[in-house]
Amino acid sequence: MTSAETKFSRRQALAMLGGVGATAFSFSTPAIAQRSAGRVVVVGGGFGGATAARYLKRGNPNLNVTLLDPARRFYTCPFTNLHFGGLRTFEQQGHGFDDLRRIGVQIVHERANDVDAKGKTVTLSGGRKLPYDRLVLSPGIDFRWGALEGYDQAAAELAPHAWQAGPQTVLLKKQLEAMEDGGLFILVAPDNPFRCPPGPYERASMVAHYLKTRKPKSKLLILDAKDNFSKQGLFQDGWKKFYADIIEWVPRSKDGKVAKVDAKAREVETEFGKKHKAAVLNVVPPQKAGFIAERAGVTNAGGWVPVKPQTFESAQVADVYVVGDATIAAPMPKSGFCANAQGKVAAAAIVASLAGREAPRASWANTCYSLIAPNYGISVAGVYEVADGKIVEIKGGGVSPREASDEFRKLEAEYGVGWYNAITQDTWGSKPA
Amino acid sequence: MSKFNTQNRVPCGLSPSIATMLGFALTLIAVQPVAAQSPSDITTLAGSCANCHGTDGRSPGPIVSIAGRPETLLLSQLKAFKSDTPPPGTTIMNRIAKGYTDEQIGALAKHFAAISANEPTKKRRK
Repeated sequence: MTSAETKFSRRQALAMLGGVGATAFSFSTPAIAQRSAGRVVVVGGGFGGATAARYLKRGNPNLNVTLLDPARRFYTCPFTNLHFGGLRTFEQQGHGFDDLRRIGVQIVHERANDVDAKGKTVTLSGGRKLPYDRLVLSPGIDFRWGALEGYDQAAAELAPHAWQAGPQTVLLKKQLEAMEDGGLFILVAPDNPFRCPPGPYERASMVAHYLKTRKPKSKLLILDAKDNFSKQGLFQDGWKKFYADIIEWVPRSKDGKVAKVDAKAREVETEFGKKHKAAVLNVVPPQKAGFIAERAGVTNAGGWVPVKPQTFESAQVADVYVVGDATIAAPMPKSGFCANAQGKVAAAAIVASLAGREAPRASWANTCYSLIAPNYGISVAGVYEVADGKIVEIKGGGVSPREASDEFRKLEAEYGVGWYNAITQDTWGSKPA
Repeated sequence: MSKFNTQNRVPCGLSPSIATMLGFALTLIAVQPVAAQSPSDITTLAGSCANCHGTDGRSPGPIVSIAGRPETLLLSQLKAFKSDTPPPGTTIMNRIAKGYTDEQIGALAKHFAAISANEPTKKRRK
């Protein structure tokens, strides 16, 4: 429901009840303010922000909740790898905000340009200032342009990162489709921490599936700034099974760390001076919290956001809550599932704090499925709580068994789709696409 | 704290404040506080389940719905997962269930059993 609709229906109701006086009153006072239990502004309509907005309204329908995102449709990073594999369209990862409107969240398609944490306002790209009682930032990631020599915004137009879903995804897909059979696809994987730890390796798997089925003479080289990665054993088992002649992974200890990028030549140079030339170059660069987090003063020297574990309120700025990839929440990974789970914990804490109650006890989980080939999925799971003021992973959880039947892997591929359907329903109210 | 989105669950014509009270009353009936697990704690605890089983445990896809299933069934399944004797056709819940205490598992079974399996149909405004 938009604010205009809210105003109209309330005017109607008041007119029916009380006549002229009440109608005049509704003209002079914003309708929402009369019964609002507090104003919450949410910046960012991804897994963290959209979930926070939804669960704020569920927690207290009388809250005035405004969600800011310049995009009319949010495209998720999760499952875009399947698009590279040719298994899903790009549009299947798009989610609108109509269902959030339906439950009473006001959606404003503007960018948040600045935060005044003292005056408690957010400045929108259109110049308007929105006041808040509590602020939620779900800013995702930004890139440290230039931290990897030669890789800046202009370079990303030639050698895409495709680590934020949108035009970059479309660009990389186009390059992959235009590549000649026999070409070399190079994926440059970053050091920790970064968004979606298994992401580069699922991407390699799905690109390899595309190459195997469409361009079988081609190769894929992963140049990695690390020696270990998420679900490593399971990925490597899968690669051996499906892509033994296609994927080569070079860890840091074997000179896998890229030190310099020449995007025009589609060439990279490693730490020890070895040059590799690609037909398609996909660089996942070093990252930091999204820029509005810096404006709000919630980032630390490392560029990420420390939070109070119990509530995800900023450790540095009062009444500003931060969720998702921008936060320092280890051992929770930077995943869409965790962003959603953190959004719920922050929403519950805000509802409680505006009502003068203590925040409920926090609890989070994470489940992350990766697809290695059609009908061959793997997963990792974790459950988290706060102990001694820190987020800890509870014993249990872990990755799929190394020894498992093809039937087991097939089920995990199906459950991966089930997870995507469920979490996008829970976050944006989407129906399976 | 209301466990349900009360706005969508009450017939039209009730004022939002009555709706909130009604939602709160339903919550009290539905979720008896378990020791050290307050109603708002269980809402937070159950929040993670929605990411795979759907909002309020009503799944939109191939993963099973858990809303409105008998409490005893939910409880026995969660215990089976936790003790690594999962039902066939499952892959991940044994790993997840180990992350919860028996008390939390009991509270979750009660919570999802108390939610109706189908979203109540909304009356249309004339």
